[in-house]
Amino acid sequence: MSDGQIVVSGLTKQFKKVRAVDNLSFTVEPGRVTGFLGPNGAGKTTTLRMLLNLVTPTGGTGTIGGRRYADLSQPLRTVGAVLEASSAHKGRTGRNHLRMICAAAGFPNRRADEVLDLVGLTPAAKRKFKGYSLGMRQRLGIAAAMLGDPRVLILDEPANGLDPEGIRWMRGLLRTLADEGRTILVSSHLLSEMELLADDVVIIAAGKLVKQGPVTEVVDGMAHVARVRVQTPQANELVKALADTVPGTTVSRADDGTLTVIGTEAATVGRTALKAGVELHELTTERPDLEDVFLDLTAGKAAIR
Amino acid sequence: MTTTTAVAPTVAFPDPGPAPLRLIRSELIKIRSTNVWWLFGIGVVLFTALALVVWTLIGNSQIDTAAAAGNDVFTPSQGTDAAQIAAERQQFAVEHDLSRTLISVAAQIYTSGQFFGLMFVMLIGTVLITNEFFHQTATTTFLATPHRTAVILSKLATAMLAAAFFWIFTTVLSLATGAIFLSAKGYGTQLDQWPVLRAILFNGLAYALWGVLGVGLGVLIRSQIGAVLVGSISYVAGTFLIQPIVFLIYTFLIKKTWVLTAMVAWPAIASGIMISPEDAYPYAPDWWVGGLVLVGYSVLFGAIGTLITRRRDIS
Ligand SMILES: Nc1ncnc2c1ncn2[C@@H]1O[C@H](COP(=O)(O)OP(=O)(O)OP(=O)(O)O)[C@@H](O)[C@H]1O
Ligand SMILES: [Mg+2]
Repeated sequence: MSDGQIVVSGLTKQFKKVRAVDNLSFTVEPGRVTGFLGPNGAGKTTTLRMLLNLVTPTGGTGTIGGRRYADLSQPLRTVGAVLEASSAHKGRTGRNHLRMICAAAGFPNRRADEVLDLVGLTPAAKRKFKGYSLGMRQRLGIAAAMLGDPRVLILDEPANGLDPEGIRWMRGLLRTLADEGRTILVSSHLLSEMELLADDVVIIAAGKLVKQGPVTEVVDGMAHVARVRVQTPQANELVKALADTVPGTTVSRADDGTLTVIGTEAATVGRTALKAGVELHELTTERPDLEDVFLDLTAGKAAIR
Repeated sequence: MTTTTAVAPTVAFPDPGPAPLRLIRSELIKIRSTNVWWLFGIGVVLFTALALVVWTLIGNSQIDTAAAAGNDVFTPSQGTDAAQIAAERQQFAVEHDLSRTLISVAAQIYTSGQFFGLMFVMLIGTVLITNEFFHQTATTTFLATPHRTAVILSKLATAMLAAAFFWIFTTVLSLATGAIFLSAKGYGTQLDQWPVLRAILFNGLAYALWGVLGVGLGVLIRSQIGAVLVGSISYVAGTFLIQPIVFLIYTFLIKKTWVLTAMVAWPAIASGIMISPEDAYPYAPDWWVGGLVLVGYSVLFGAIGTLITRRRDIS
């Protein structure tokens, strides 16, 4: 087993009324970026906080490199976490915020300046936290996570509040860190961003695991959510034929007359058209993206609890 | 893509040092890097200065009275109540004995600013905890140190350090003022008198215990405003409300002296009993009972608070 592997096993959290996380198990491998996805209220934050010993699980365990967070002798040297944007004292400067963490962890003060530089916050180092923009706060959080040069990074919606350049910067940073062999677990709602960044995904809904695996495999395994684009001068006939002979398909029509068929493959559409004597000008399969897959997998489970 | 790459260490870290010292240093940085520090500092300086003015003025007239008093004889006023007579007798004795007056005046001056000083130290202890939740820094703190008991203990130690600082600071100020005042009146510093030294030392103990009490209060009441209000109100009320109320109960409801003795259960009164060289009030228990009550509260609050903090979900 590699050092930086995260293993979540049977993790469960019952809040008073809500079962936020329900017998959840998955693993996160080093050297890869793992996207942790789920609708609002799916239990992502709760899972990450249980992994970091901030929330006590009702059952199950989460380990990092085989140990529970509380058992790590120097936690910040092993794990860096970015949890919420607002967690610094309003009246404290960014630099002092980092120095206070350095003191607790036994890091030299120069680390504070080094990570400020890393996230591009040096100009604001001596400004108070209350004057930071959302993106600056997020960068300070990332700086804090990097203080101990950790081999595992856990980030809860780190792209929140970052501008496009900031998002690209973070993508590059996480990519580089993963390529250095570190473990990156990052929760996000930005599915197109995750499709660019993540190697693996863990998708949960209503506290339960829905799917885990490499992004390409997960997407390829979901060919049935592919969209088939059709150009035809006899749109109405085709729509009727599909409705009559291929149940479960939905067809939408764009302004320019292009039809998009969801719920079946191009071959079926072609065969149906042939049988119905419908003339086709174009028949293309559009590979589903992560968003299509995500929405299909979590359909009906996305309700906020 | 490989999955077994060993992470090359890119940064060299020196030995982190012992955890308790690290935590206390971190707590001190937290205090120093915000406004709390000098706001409370200015408060204590102002109130100590004010108290010094008041106590030297009162002391001045008390010393003059005692020095002028001849051979008056104690005669109790109309009441036949034992507690009242005892109180009057004690007052009479103090007022007519110059050496006792000097001692009590010196003790009073040397512990100037105590009333608000103790409250400020308590509030610092409280804010050390409640700030973590108010500003959502608890996450950061507990990520750096997942051992929550260690965090609470370091906050207790930090509160006591702050208490020691305030005590030394106010005591130096008061010693200088008191010594000048007494020698100007032609008397010695009284620092060779045990009751005076005792007052100064126990003042320090009171500072430390109130710091601890404040931390306990902060853990019990997580809300910043709630904890600060409960703390300061019960502190001030102890002095200005509880005592009169208990005396009313004693006079009109339960005419037993244990009612008066039992007042020690209120922390602010326990503290007064512990510090006071004379009986703080008639039928007050011994000083050490007050001390034990304060220590008891500190341990109780601290233990309950630590247990709660260990189990609490930080989200
Ligand atoms: N401290 C708490 N007390 C009670 N219920 C909670 C608490 N924290 C979270 N929950 C509930 O647990 C469920 C999961 O919440 P969680 O914050 O883990 O979801 P999430 O996946 O992070 O959602 P989002 O995408 O909106 O951030 C929600 O229904 C939420 O209301
Ligand atoms: Mg969340």
